[in-house]
Amino acid sequence: MQFILDGIQKGIHLTATLDPQVMVIVKLSLFVSALATAIAVVIAVPLGSLIAIKKFSGKKLAIALINTGMGLPPVVVGLVVTLFLSRYGPLGFLHWLYTPIGMVLAQVIIATPIITGLSMAAVQSVEQKFFLQIIALGATTRQALWIVLKEIRLSVLAAVIAGFGSIISEVGAVMMVGGNIKGQTRVLTTAVVLETHMGNIDIAIALSLILLTMSFIVNLTLTFIQQRKAR
Amino acid sequence: MVVYRIENVHLAYPGGFCLVVPYLSLAEGKVLAVIGPNGAGKTTLLNTLAFFERPKGALIELFGKRLKKPQIDLNLRRLISVVFPRPYLLNDTVFNNIALPLRIRGIRNTAAVGQACEDFKIAHLKTKNALKISHGEMHRVALARALVTQPRLLLMDEPFSSLDPRYKDTLITDLRRTIRDNHLTTVFVTQDQSEALRLGDEICVMKNGRILQRDLPSRLFSHPASRDVADFVGIETIIEGQVVKKEDNLCSVKINGTTLEAISACERGDNVFVCIRPEDVIISRQDEATSARNRFKAKIIKIEPWMLEYKVAIEAGFPLVSFVTKQSIESLNLKPEKEIFVSFKATAIHLIKR
Repeated sequence: MQFILDGIQKGIHLTATLDPQVMVIVKLSLFVSALATAIAVVIAVPLGSLIAIKKFSGKKLAIALINTGMGLPPVVVGLVVTLFLSRYGPLGFLHWLYTPIGMVLAQVIIATPIITGLSMAAVQSVEQKFFLQIIALGATTRQALWIVLKEIRLSVLAAVIAGFGSIISEVGAVMMVGGNIKGQTRVLTTAVVLETHMGNIDIAIALSLILLTMSFIVNLTLTFIQQRKAR
Repeated sequence: MVVYRIENVHLAYPGGFCLVVPYLSLAEGKVLAVIGPNGAGKTTLLNTLAFFERPKGALIELFGKRLKKPQIDLNLRRLISVVFPRPYLLNDTVFNNIALPLRIRGIRNTAAVGQACEDFKIAHLKTKNALKISHGEMHRVALARALVTQPRLLLMDEPFSSLDPRYKDTLITDLRRTIRDNHLTTVFVTQDQSEALRLGDEICVMKNGRILQRDLPSRLFSHPASRDVADFVGIETIIEGQVVKKEDNLCSVKINGTTLEAISACERGDNVFVCIRPEDVIISRQDEATSARNRFKAKIIKIEPWMLEYKVAIEAGFPLVSFVTKQSIESLNLKPEKEIFVSFKATAIHLIKR
């Protein structure tokens, strides 16, 4: 029991003193997941909105695929990306395996369907007539979409935060693609796994506390957004 | 001048509904009111005019340009404004909502937004959030927004259906003035006959996806072309007149050479439609003294069976219709060409301001 309490105490100390060893890991985590979220947003928000407003054959299939994608197991994504990036894989020439860029790629694949699905739902929640009204005021489809997205920006923001939340906390993909190399590809989640195995409970707890805090901030922001909408 | 012409419109829907319009044209600066029961195809017709529907094989000519492709050129489309039953405003200030169609066109024109606000008496709301104003005010914002670009064609789908009557009245007055001032070609869909009478230069009755009759208001009501039209518009007598005198609420309305008395809030000098329901018109053989303020010597034109009663068409210096029972016809010995007296109360007349 005592070793847990000691761990928590030391963990808080490490966090509070901004221990350089810990901070390197935090920075890389934030960098990889934020970049992956940014790239995913650029793909996912227009894609989700277009699927929501366009009528095309196979729309139901597309929606089913996206919904499946929203629940992709990170470890499977990690495996596939690792295979593609491996030396003799189709993308081996990029030399992205065991680099942060490779980790970003894996996380983009995880986050994109989540943000696509949620922004699609957000756009679908807007009455079709609202969209038609904007068009009827002289807007092109692109202008109308932009106006509608701005109108539901809170829902879109919620989709983005949900995407970020899902990748900052996943371990399977970054572990396999990044390889958990100290100072290069070690992020919060992979570090927690390693430090626990090595018996460095204090560092593992410190990293977990930081991860928990981030997760809490993400959820707090989401809650605030949802409450603002409900008003 | 014809600004819009459609021919051979044939739109079939999965449910079996079909819009069939062999010909429809709109004259510049005129207001066409489209009325008809639910499911008559009024909104579908409006959507076709707004290019939300693309009928195959139809001939469409807009502002003198024959449209070859089913798609409409953006610049041509931007000459049309559409108003929906609900306002659909953005979560932004009233000013920004009204400026939206201008911004879409890449135009900054504060003066135009200001003018549109003045036209619809919402200048004091400019800085307020458009979702936090009253329901009626939202409709005013929607109309100002539709007209800020000075469109050449205004299409409105039941724009006042959800407004309470008193608010609706002043809004229609403001809209009517704006439409007249701008000489704006307008088509509007409504289920409410009095709205159609107040705004429409012409009225078009639809049922089952077809146009049954298109006519001047007074003609449509006095000469319905078919039983379907008559059923829908009722056979109320509707005559054009002018308020020439007003004491308290009692208005004297001049029609042709005759003067009627009616209770109404209309003012002296107002042009009005005088509406008299057949069940309020009483026929007698002699000029009896009654409490009815309107009494006229008249002549029977025609008697025909109508539902369970008889419909009597009367000429009293203006056309009138009365419902009577079979028993009354016999006891009063009513027949065509017979001279009679008709009377109706001042409260039985409904005036619709033009």
